[in-house]
Amino acid sequence: MPRRSTTSRRQLRLGLAFASPWLVGFVVLILGPIVASGYYSFTDFNLFQPPTFVGVDNYRTMVGDERFTKALFNTLYLTVFGVPLALSLSLGFALALNSRVRGLPLYRAIVYLPTIIPIVVSVYVWRWLLNAQYGYFNRILGLLHLPQPNWLEDPTFTKPAIILIGLWMVGGTTVIYLAALKDVPSETYEAALVDGAGPWQRFRAVTWPAISPVTLFQLIVGLITSLQLFTQPYLLAQTRLNAAAGGPDDSLLTYGMYVYQNAFVFLKMGYASALAWVLFLVTLAVTAVLMLTSRRWVHYG
Amino acid sequence: MRRESFRRATAAAMAGVLATALGACGGSDGGDDDKVEVVFSYLWAGAEAEALEEIIADFNASQDEIEVRGVSNPDFQKQLTSMSGAQGSFDISDHFGNGVGAWASKGILAPLDDFIEADGLDTDDFVPAAMSQMMYEGQTYSMPIALHAQMLMYNKKLYAEAGIDGPPETTEEWAEQIAKLTKRDADGTITQLGYANAEINTSFTTLGFMFGGAWDDQSGRPTPADPGNVAGLEFYTENIPGTYGVAEVRDFTSGFGEYASAQNPFYVDKVATIIDGEWQSVFIDQYAPNLDWGVAPLPYPAAQPELAGTTQVTTSTLFIPRNAKHPEEAWEFMKYLLSEDAMVRFTLALGNLPARISLLDDPRYDTLPQFSTWLDALRSPNAQSLASTPWSAEYTSDLGQAFDDIAQQRTSPAEGLADVADKASSYAP
Repeated sequence: MPRRSTTSRRQLRLGLAFASPWLVGFVVLILGPIVASGYYSFTDFNLFQPPTFVGVDNYRTMVGDERFTKALFNTLYLTVFGVPLALSLSLGFALALNSRVRGLPLYRAIVYLPTIIPIVVSVYVWRWLLNAQYGYFNRILGLLHLPQPNWLEDPTFTKPAIILIGLWMVGGTTVIYLAALKDVPSETYEAALVDGAGPWQRFRAVTWPAISPVTLFQLIVGLITSLQLFTQPYLLAQTRLNAAAGGPDDSLLTYGMYVYQNAFVFLKMGYASALAWVLFLVTLAVTAVLMLTSRRWVHYG
Repeated sequence: MRRESFRRATAAAMAGVLATALGACGGSDGGDDDKVEVVFSYLWAGAEAEALEEIIADFNASQDEIEVRGVSNPDFQKQLTSMSGAQGSFDISDHFGNGVGAWASKGILAPLDDFIEADGLDTDDFVPAAMSQMMYEGQTYSMPIALHAQMLMYNKKLYAEAGIDGPPETTEEWAEQIAKLTKRDADGTITQLGYANAEINTSFTTLGFMFGGAWDDQSGRPTPADPGNVAGLEFYTENIPGTYGVAEVRDFTSGFGEYASAQNPFYVDKVATIIDGEWQSVFIDQYAPNLDWGVAPLPYPAAQPELAGTTQVTTSTLFIPRNAKHPEEAWEFMKYLLSEDAMVRFTLALGNLPARISLLDDPRYDTLPQFSTWLDALRSPNAQSLASTPWSAEYTSDLGQAFDDIAQQRTSPAEGLADVADKASSYAP
């Protein structure tokens, strides 16, 4: 008995030692900054001079801050519309790619291709495609006799533009859905066929329940990504010399951008930390709600 | 057994330490000769950056102690973030006069007074309006390398087409000309606009000054809702979006090409008049040599002739960040750029106004087309500038948002500016 416990303790020490590069990295680069940002959120801190403690002032400022409300609204808008749309589209693609047609690998590559293009490059290309005067997107809409909105200048259309760019990059989620579809046991389909189920009934009764754990996973990951959305709106709103911008009527100001602007443009690191913590709590709450409701619609096994 | 495990554990830990240490090694700079490398990160780009590189090369050739390496980085946000670390990525950089207070108050900039005193630099020779922007709480945190003044520029070809003799004297005349110089299709689509903002913040603050407004008072508090400012912005909203439609103007301006390119809307006859700075003299030479253009003093309201000669002066500054690796050497280079000869070469190449009073009459500027109109503007008693305060960044950002709302007629000038005044009351003193 005592011998075994020494062995296991030794094993533990060894294990910790071998894991030390990661452990040190985690504590210094992740845990440390998280704890520090928690402290900074109660201070007035401009990054260059020592912070001064101000209590809950930063959190109180948020209540009357119009741009905070706007940023939160924009982010929720993009999440509520963007995430379900992107998931439905990728499920649609995955279902289509799961069928037996000629040249499937080619289609699969085409759907995945946008994902491997650096996001900065694709957003700049979209910025040009969506230009109201020279953009191809509106030219196509014009040929179809559809209205041609001013995507990047009209505050009503800037957020749909972001969602549009997001839909173009659904390759990653599509591939995960495709893998999940491949895992649905064919016997279940056969049984359903024998019972006389049509395509819609087979999807409702077999496919959807079988892939529901993957849907939950994709929903949560998509939600977290969407709540932290930064690059696409940041690049669409970018102006000459890259001064702080939120697009027309601040319609592109996402929560992530507002945190960034406060931290690194206005140098209000204390306020930015408080904002970041509120986002963390919002994310936590939304994820918790999702996990709770999942019992009703997610089927394991 | 125990020893063995200890040795293995130590080896594993060492691996971690080694990885960290190796990572840190990459940071040291390996200069292979004795010269100190000074990194000059500047906001200029394109042809302006090329002109600047020539002056850097001359400085490098002039002595054998310092090697200046220029890096073009036209990105405000990146410039600021790279100054937040313990060791900066550059030793000297440039910015604008109204930002000095904000950065100085936060300890971002290194004070220059000791250098100025030790070298006996005569700060009295610098234009006072610019020099006052460089100070914060009695210390000097930047030096002006070049000045800028806003004037009215007009396209002579479009003026001839519209049958107009010359630039307007008063804002009332200007409004009439804008109407004559704007063209629309049968369906209301704008094909040519009588006036468009070159850069909305500068154009709108200048419009405020033109109508007798001010953006801050003598004590340095913001005064966005000044009646003159409201009148200036109303001039724009009434004569442009108010007359031709917000959506129509927006559609037209969204097709504008890049500012510093041959597609600049003023160069391609899309816009007949703009309020812009003296660098256009060189820009037009480079990007649109065939453009037939003119420049005139900004018009004034007929009822307020005392406002004739109004202009907005802005300053390009040089500064040394507090986290510079080689501040002494950076100062040596700054001193070189501020010397009369280098300043003339620099401002000539970029087509900027010199910051030294003694250079305002320098005949070398005669080579730049129509440059004297801007040089003269610096002497005007109505040459105005924005104050340099700790809250400039927030003020600029809030004004920018309000200007956009006003230009897009989501709010009226009076309401939009009153809203900024509300926000401004919470700025840190």
